[in-house]
Amino acid sequence: MATDRSRRRTWTFSLAIALTLLILYLTTGVSSGLRGGANIVLTPFSWAVNTIAHPLGHLFAGAIDYSDVVAQNQKLRRQLAQADERLNEEWSYSRQLQQISTQLNVPFVSSLPTVAVQVTTDSPTNFSATVGVSKGRSSGILVGMPVVANGGLVGRVISTTTNGSTVQLISDTHSLVGVTFAHSTSDLVVSGRGVNNGLGATSVPTNSGVEVGTKLFTDGLDGGLFPVGLPVASVKAVTLTPGASTYNLSLQPAADLRHLSYLDVVLWEPAT
Amino acid sequence: MRRVLLPVTVVTLVVVAIQLSIFSSLRFAGVVVMLVWLWPLAMGLAGLTSLALWCAVVAGVFFDTHAVTPFGLTAVVAVILAYGASRLGKEGVGDLDSAAWWVTPLIAAAAGFIAPALFVGASFFTLNFSFWRDSLFASMVVNAVAFFILARPMTRLARWAGNFGGTRR
Repeated sequence: MATDRSRRRTWTFSLAIALTLLILYLTTGVSSGLRGGANIVLTPFSWAVNTIAHPLGHLFAGAIDYSDVVAQNQKLRRQLAQADERLNEEWSYSRQLQQISTQLNVPFVSSLPTVAVQVTTDSPTNFSATVGVSKGRSSGILVGMPVVANGGLVGRVISTTTNGSTVQLISDTHSLVGVTFAHSTSDLVVSGRGVNNGLGATSVPTNSGVEVGTKLFTDGLDGGLFPVGLPVASVKAVTLTPGASTYNLSLQPAADLRHLSYLDVVLWEPAT
Repeated sequence: MRRVLLPVTVVTLVVVAIQLSIFSSLRFAGVVVMLVWLWPLAMGLAGLTSLALWCAVVAGVFFDTHAVTPFGLTAVVAVILAYGASRLGKEGVGDLDSAAWWVTPLIAAAAGFIAPALFVGASFFTLNFSFWRDSLFASMVVNAVAFFILARPMTRLARWAGNFGGTRR
């Protein structure tokens, strides 16, 4: 009898929890408030864990990977010198492009203001490709703004707090980016395939002229989520399924999405 | 029960903090080990049914507030794991003292293997149909291995936390 009562109580408890979670999920206002509250409660615990874990982690990483760090430093110095040279060269091209863009009334990303942010957290779960960044609404960052880094589009802002934001990476399974490429006759849609699987595009017409190495840029269509001309990816492999009349593309993101430290949020809002 | 609720809640929050601060960036084959599922499971295997469900809800909800996946999904999976484990724990299956050393890790590994699939299955109810694309199998394998390794220390921690006020079950 007691066992039956205990079992009934456990089931009721579980059902109540499930219903509560469902209601919280459906009423986003409540869940948003809950998120803020949870952050406040967890902050001291996270701070304590970080204070202990980070110095230990750095100590081990430094001890084990010292030669790698030195090699990486030398490589970065060389890349910096090359980048300086290219910067001078590109400045003049950029200026010309900006003038043409202004005449054609097309926004060009280098003419748009950006906010530099630091990546503070990785995605806590296996089922979303997101990063947390160090600045939020107080720095002018709003939901929907594009984020760039490492030479290409990284993603877009999907939520903000006063001093932080969450960026959905283009590799997230919910991410879709409209792209185009040089001499193209059609626009494509690039979709994310998850944290570890990069990007892809399906249903690409066989007469589109796309080939391995083709670079894809945001199309900037009216009402689109991104301004025109942001590098998104390059084509890594083109596959034609037997019997199909369209290509499937496997894409290499233009930005290195696995090593993100600093990002630029483009202060550009998609048209609504 | 009430006397242990506070220490168990504190340990649960520390587990969530460790999950978010360390395990989120410490990926194996690109996969995050879900400590927030292992902790309630360990509580359940220790035979602490109510505490296991409580840990599942607290850990799941706090984790969900930091993830962009549908709110409550992690908590639902944690509750299912905790309930299943506590049924076994009540029967003494997986008990650290009486069962063979490999029983607890094996149960945990099985739970770690099915938990990501449960998550994806539950996500269909929230009309999210794309989670299965994101390295589901890798996630299942890595979590199974990690749960196997961490099961015994976590169950010991669960038993210690559950006995904190001198109370059992």
